[in-house]
Amino acid sequence: MDERKATGAMNDAELNEVISHVRAGDPDAWGELYRRYAPAIFRFCRRALPTREDAEDATTEIFMKTRQKLGTFDSSRPFTAWMYKVASNHCWDLLRRRRTRQNLETPDVEELALEHPDPSQLERLQAERSSEELRAALAKLPDRARMALVLRYYADMSYDEVADTLGVRRAFVGVLLLRARHQLREVLRGTSVEAESAGGNS
Amino acid sequence: MSHLDEMTGLLYLEGELDVNREREVSTHRSVCAPCRRMLQALERESIWLRESLAAQEEAIPQRLARVPGRSTTAPWAWIAALGMGAGGAYTLWSGLVEPWLAQASEAGFTQGNLLTMLLFSGAFWKGWGRMQTLTQFLSAATLGVFLLWLAGRRWRRFSVAGAVLTAGLGFSMLTLPSSASAAEVVHGDPNYTLPAGDEVKTDLIVAAQHARIDGDVDGDLIVWSRSITVNGRVKGDILALGQELRVNGQVDGNVRAFAQSFTLNGSVVKNVMTWAHEFDMDEKARVGGTMTLGSANVQLDGHLNGDLLAFVEDLDINGSLSHDATIRAQRLRFGPNATVAGHTQYRGGRQPEKAPDAQLGSPIEILAGHRPMPSYASPRLYWHQILAWGASFLFGVVLLLVAPAFFADTENASKRFGPAIGLGVLFLFAIPVAAVLACFTIVGLGVGITTLLSYIVALYSAQVFIGAWLGEKLMGPGIGTGAIIGRLAIGLAILRLLRLIPFAGHLISLLVVIWGLGALVLAIERRMRPQWAPAV
Repeated sequence: MDERKATGAMNDAELNEVISHVRAGDPDAWGELYRRYAPAIFRFCRRALPTREDAEDATTEIFMKTRQKLGTFDSSRPFTAWMYKVASNHCWDLLRRRRTRQNLETPDVEELALEHPDPSQLERLQAERSSEELRAALAKLPDRARMALVLRYYADMSYDEVADTLGVRRAFVGVLLLRARHQLREVLRGTSVEAESAGGNS
Repeated sequence: MSHLDEMTGLLYLEGELDVNREREVSTHRSVCAPCRRMLQALERESIWLRESLAAQEEAIPQRLARVPGRSTTAPWAWIAALGMGAGGAYTLWSGLVEPWLAQASEAGFTQGNLLTMLLFSGAFWKGWGRMQTLTQFLSAATLGVFLLWLAGRRWRRFSVAGAVLTAGLGFSMLTLPSSASAAEVVHGDPNYTLPAGDEVKTDLIVAAQHARIDGDVDGDLIVWSRSITVNGRVKGDILALGQELRVNGQVDGNVRAFAQSFTLNGSVVKNVMTWAHEFDMDEKARVGGTMTLGSANVQLDGHLNGDLLAFVEDLDINGSLSHDATIRAQRLRFGPNATVAGHTQYRGGRQPEKAPDAQLGSPIEILAGHRPMPSYASPRLYWHQILAWGASFLFGVVLLLVAPAFFADTENASKRFGPAIGLGVLFLFAIPVAAVLACFTIVGLGVGITTLLSYIVALYSAQVFIGAWLGEKLMGPGIGTGAIIGRLAIGLAILRLLRLIPFAGHLISLLVVIWGLGALVLAIERRMRPQWAPAV
């Protein structure tokens, strides 16, 4: 959890020192912190938000927020987790503000099929689809589904943290994740069908 | 135990089941091959998700890769910049706005403040009459901006709704007529006539196919009609929009007319301002104040007591002018009865023609057809540039502090050069046309005028966004308001320098306006967009 995606090698003592310098207004320390975390936060945003342009904007805004909120950071806790929390909250706020129609649908536990999945289909899908295709399919998911998968499987957040970020009950996180997986499979299957029909037509 | 469902399987793999349930699932897994296979597939899916999400590490964009900007501006630089900005604002006011107001006041817009003047001397918005001074207006505007800012901060999620609500409240406040603004509104069926001997005690607003005013109107006369004839007396102003306008009676106030042809046979105590293709002032006609014309063909045979300001194609003067004349025309002719007591200044295509009997107070001052090149040797030029830079910088800083998110959105939108330029060109021409068209309807007049005012602000603010973009391009992205302000200052300074380039400077100015306006439109569109499509 603490060792989230590549933020550069810096031990806790060094990091705390840098943070205290930033708090004291040292611009070099701020530059150092930014250099360490900007790539990771940008990559996170790139996965959480649908377009590159949005990810770039969001990264800048997240660091502006980070600078403002750094005074509230409890240095006894892992900074990387805190930073991801700021980033995920920002991205989710951004997505919610945009209020896509997709998000107006209410995820419903009752609607979720609890059937026994066909493992062979699942395996075939994994074998046929590449990472690039999965990433592209991810971008087609509703915001909440995409965010749930990114928070859990990219940012390595716990169920508690996912629930807190997305504003849902902890017990609902599993449902969200499973539903997101279903939607992802659907999109990937659709891509597969499209590819096959395109191949057949040519 | 029956087969595991997928939800249980996922929670088991994620370590989210309680101890007892987890033990049950483990036991079942060891004895049930299909469930074991399902759990393996789910687990592989988790790994696949993690690996795919971690893979394809996209290179960080250049604008984010560089070390963030740090505000290194010394306090004295801030003081100097803000001082310069204040100086620029003061210079703009004292050098441009105030003389303009003075001229306008001379031309009869004597209601006391800029907006009242723009809104035709209160002919429409009586509410402005309450705002007797510019200070009052500025206070109201500041309050509006503060409310918008507050809405943006406190109720960020509802910032658009807040802005609309505030704007709506403000607009309602401005457009609500005061109790003193009672007016008689009539719609012709299809024509309207106010018979001789009848008197309207209030303002009279008429919309008809043909309108004829033979009686008296105590207030203003506002009329939309194909043909308009005023034979009676109007004690207030006339504001007329029509194809043909004839004023044969007496007008105690001003006449402002938009018409295909306008014939003035009567007398106007105050001023005349008209945009008419043909304007004919009969020899019996009298105007006590000034006359401002924007027309194709003009014949002035009557008496004008004030100054004449004319932007016309063809101008024949055969009457008397008691003061100065400033004329821009393709052709100018003084007939034998022409008398101009003051100074005549002329800029035009051909040499003016003057009948031998025409009497002019001074020789005609003929100005060159083109504006002279700026004098690069004059320190005054550079001083003015510095002040203008200061004014635009101050404007930009206020914009940034009041609406930082919108500022950032617009600056980002300016990076989409193609769409911004395309939309900029479109809106540069479309907004004024739409606003003017809106002004032709009684309901849309307020909207039209508000749009025009916003349009002017948008044109001025265009340089701010492009300046901010340019500053960021040169210095890299900055984090924090201070860094953005520093980049803005540099970007605006460079734009100001570019404008000094002979000939190309004008083109650069135009490009900046178009580009910035387009970016503004894109940013507004982005904020209003109800939904967005995820990238594939």
